[in-house]
Amino acid sequence: MEEGIVSLHEKLVNKEITSEELVKKSLEKAKEAQEKYNAFVTILPDAKGVNKITSLLSGIPYGVKDNYSTKDVLSTGSSNTLKNYVPFFNATAVENLQKAGAVIIGKTVLDEFGMGGTGTTGHTGVVKNPWDETRMCAGSSSGSAASVACGVYPYALGSDTGDSIRKPAAYCGIVGYKPTYGMISRYGLFPFASSLDTCGVLTRSVEDAAIVVDAMKGLDENDMTSWDSSDIHLYDSLKKQTKAKKICIIPEICDIKRYPHASSELKEHLENFQKTLEICKSLGFTVEEVSIDENLLNALASVYIIISCAEATSNLSNLTGIIFGPRGNGTSTLDFIKDHRTKGFSPLIKRRFVIGSYVLQKENQERYFRNAQRVRRLIVDKMKEIFKEYDAVILPVGTGPAKKLKGPYDILDRNTTILEEHLQIGNFGGFPSITIPNGFIDGLPVGVNITGNCYEDEKVLQIASLLESKMPYKGQIAGRKEK
Amino acid sequence: MKFTKELVDKFANDLLFSLSEEENKLVLDEFEIIEENMEKISHLAGIQEESAMTHPMEMEEITLRGDEIKEELSTEEVLMNAEVKTKEEIIVPKVVE
Repeated sequence: MEEGIVSLHEKLVNKEITSEELVKKSLEKAKEAQEKYNAFVTILPDAKGVNKITSLLSGIPYGVKDNYSTKDVLSTGSSNTLKNYVPFFNATAVENLQKAGAVIIGKTVLDEFGMGGTGTTGHTGVVKNPWDETRMCAGSSSGSAASVACGVYPYALGSDTGDSIRKPAAYCGIVGYKPTYGMISRYGLFPFASSLDTCGVLTRSVEDAAIVVDAMKGLDENDMTSWDSSDIHLYDSLKKQTKAKKICIIPEICDIKRYPHASSELKEHLENFQKTLEICKSLGFTVEEVSIDENLLNALASVYIIISCAEATSNLSNLTGIIFGPRGNGTSTLDFIKDHRTKGFSPLIKRRFVIGSYVLQKENQERYFRNAQRVRRLIVDKMKEIFKEYDAVILPVGTGPAKKLKGPYDILDRNTTILEEHLQIGNFGGFPSITIPNGFIDGLPVGVNITGNCYEDEKVLQIASLLESKMPYKGQIAGRKEK
Repeated sequence: MKFTKELVDKFANDLLFSLSEEENKLVLDEFEIIEENMEKISHLAGIQEESAMTHPMEMEEITLRGDEIKEELSTEEVLMNAEVKTKEEIIVPKVVE
């Protein structure tokens, strides 16, 4: 299970291995990953291999983040409010993979409903990083990242509202790809913030990310925001010769001079990023600097919280414990619901709902919600201006490797740096965005992110693939390769 | 409307859950930072003239589904996740005494 999709596919076609054997191996690894890292909400011991190999994904096992609806399989959103919920339909993305013959072997842990960035708020407990169990995987696609990083299967589905695929990918030394908004249908994905939520995938190579998203994507009449991407062929595009690319960095985010009190870890991370830029130049890329107003960048975290919490407050108001979810105690319907929600939601979710509700009050909307949406417009317009001249923006992910598992977690504070938040820009604009591993600090992986204009996923993946080919981290398994 | 401890509790109650004292304080601590940032934002030149961005994509063409029934949920499917039910209905407390 430590190989890529093409290699496994060839072995299946050449009958060197059967799908049944792959599934068995994957299930064994999943049990190990569960014991060591708590990556799964559910493992499916009865998962069966397929006999016919009809596509690159046929017969190959994969994992699904537990906020995707899976028919007849427990789907909890990692929340106590849905701890016993079993959908009667598949999310479109899952259905598309099923049609391609892919085999689900488990559902992975997330931060409750995707609303967190640490992998610590799922109702089944903390997810540990396979490179160092005392550290976090980041979130919210924590279990998917951990399980792919330790070789349970070649890929797992994730979802990304702020950086929930791309940051866990960096912390776990793997690839995390969030396609253009709407390329993959969100039908059956538990909603968090509908204008930001994007389905995507975590893999160990850009090639695998392209193969999986090719199979997941497509226009869906059940999701009005999905669009026809039938002329986009991600995997095939990787094989094409590409002309030299023009990329840029944003100094307000990644210039070491802007961090006078930088830790040695941050210094190393930014120095390593400079080395990555040198590799880009050696590939013939033009690398230039483009500035963005720091006032806008400094407001990112607040703008993200306002928009995402406002949307989430509304989206998750259907969790009452009456039609689905565990029934609360009480004598009236309102008592039932209050008990269900008080016991069911984690403290983080409740805090965010209250903020979302406050900014949506009629008298507050203009100052908070509308101004946040205006800042979103200004930032996205600036990015679109950049993409007129550049093929992509390249930036380091976070302030270094995975953080230690010691709380408090996910609390907005004044020391939050833009380096920790900038991936949210990708969600504001619906931009295609991919993280790939670009080195190690103290034996722990770090990542670099490439973001391009909407609908230009092929270009973004080509850049990522070229860069990946010049670094020794493609396909790495946690703890196995040279650190 | 200044965000106060009492308001935090009111909103929590309206959202149908309760918060502990510690959780209530955290809401206000976090919101203080949001407030500072939004205060700065409100002074950005031309901010009021910008149109609010509610969605990432320009939805130039939206195709609506035809208004026709293609599939229906069975009673069994609707009831399968409800904890308290009869064969055909979900049981809720009596509303009218």
